[in-house]
Amino acid sequence: MKTPFDEAAGLYVLDQLDARERAEFEARLLHDSALAARVRELESALAERIRALPQHQPPAGALACIESRLDGERAAGDRAKVRQFPLPWASVARWGLAAVAVLGIGIIAVQELRRGPAAPAHPVLIMVGLDSGRSTFAELPLNEQPQSADGRFIQLASLAARFWEKPGELPAAVVSGRPGSRGYALFDPGSNEGFIGIQQLPSAGQGQHYHLWMVDTASGRIREAGILPLKDGDGGLYFFSVPPAGAEATSGRLDFFVTAEDGTAPESDRPKGKVVLGDNRI
Amino acid sequence: MSPPLENDAIREEAGLLARVGAGDREAFRQLYSRWGAPLFSLAVRMVVDRGEAEELLQDAFVKIWRNAPAYDPRKSRPFTWAFTIVRRTCIDHLRRRRHRPVLTPLAAGAGTADSLATGESVRGAAEARDDADRLQRALADIPPGQRRALELALFSELTHDEISRHLEQPVGTVKSWIRRGLLDLRATLNEPAR
Repeated sequence: MKTPFDEAAGLYVLDQLDARERAEFEARLLHDSALAARVRELESALAERIRALPQHQPPAGALACIESRLDGERAAGDRAKVRQFPLPWASVARWGLAAVAVLGIGIIAVQELRRGPAAPAHPVLIMVGLDSGRSTFAELPLNEQPQSADGRFIQLASLAARFWEKPGELPAAVVSGRPGSRGYALFDPGSNEGFIGIQQLPSAGQGQHYHLWMVDTASGRIREAGILPLKDGDGGLYFFSVPPAGAEATSGRLDFFVTAEDGTAPESDRPKGKVVLGDNRI
Repeated sequence: MSPPLENDAIREEAGLLARVGAGDREAFRQLYSRWGAPLFSLAVRMVVDRGEAEELLQDAFVKIWRNAPAYDPRKSRPFTWAFTIVRRTCIDHLRRRRHRPVLTPLAAGAGTADSLATGESVRGAAEARDDADRLQRALADIPPGQRRALELALFSELTHDEISRHLEQPVGTVKSWIRRGLLDLRATLNEPAR
């Protein structure tokens, strides 16, 4: 006699069961040899169907790319966390000069953590305004072309500090009129470093972390900028850096977004969680 | 019951996957050489665009490497396990780009000479052509409802609930069609060549 499990066997093999149904089915599968035989039969049919598709060979370099990614993951085991300046947005104005001094110390501290002395050539900084449903883009020309990477970083950090301190000076193009979570990312494409200022982000759910991502809108390539170490506060100003684009140079507009990721899930180089700040691109 | 040769292949793949789980890169390369083409073909079938399919294949093999230690041979064959990873990777991608896959008719493209990858040997191409012809005949023997439900379950991002709405059939009927479709396909493929 056919059981409901027999009926579900095809759906199991084709990965058409939801998580609960799948768990129930697998629990049964471990103790029901007739069902296991039925599943094996269906799996054989599936394998034949897939192997009988019009066959396409993967590009010659695909395996090398995969292995290179695996090597890269191993090397990046100590993935960098985004580093925070201890300044809540709303209170900065009241802190006045004291806050500016703390920020200055923060900039110096971050400067020591930075890599690479070369002076980048890009003449602009990228600015992206973020709110809970969209992002807006602007380019900021550098006031003067710094002679060194450190000089350029000082300019980047000073701008980030100024906008944090005086949100009214943010370029109009990146200011959100919407209520709720908002912020801005200021990024130097020459050094792959930047700052993100966030305000009114709700507390992350149990076991969740906020991740910052950068996307090249032309190629669709996504790079992770790190985990935002938000705890009790609802925002802050953070420094981040992303891995260099490498041979695949940035070819389009850069955008940023923040997702809430499950902290217990295996690490992924792609966003999986809900977008909570910025344009919903996933 | 699976034939003995098939069982040998399953055992070999399970052994390779266990080695991959222990961090053996050579075993990973061997699995890639076995599965690369069929899984890439699956990705191409699902997302249509070859460039996207290549990226998704890479993502899927990275997941295969990461998740190999968790593979449980009591729950599925290694190839089914890998199929599930590729399919889920493609579905995530399709949902991200909010684009329904192109649901081509069953006969489209299958077995035509220009659908075969370039650079294959003449013998390999002939075998692939024979396989595709055999599949075409097998599919032709499956009732249209079963065939459609099976192909949607395999190659689209639709859940069986969505397939039932799409085909305007009760969910129970769709479940039954999917299962019967797979079994009928298997039975027909196992028949001696006509």
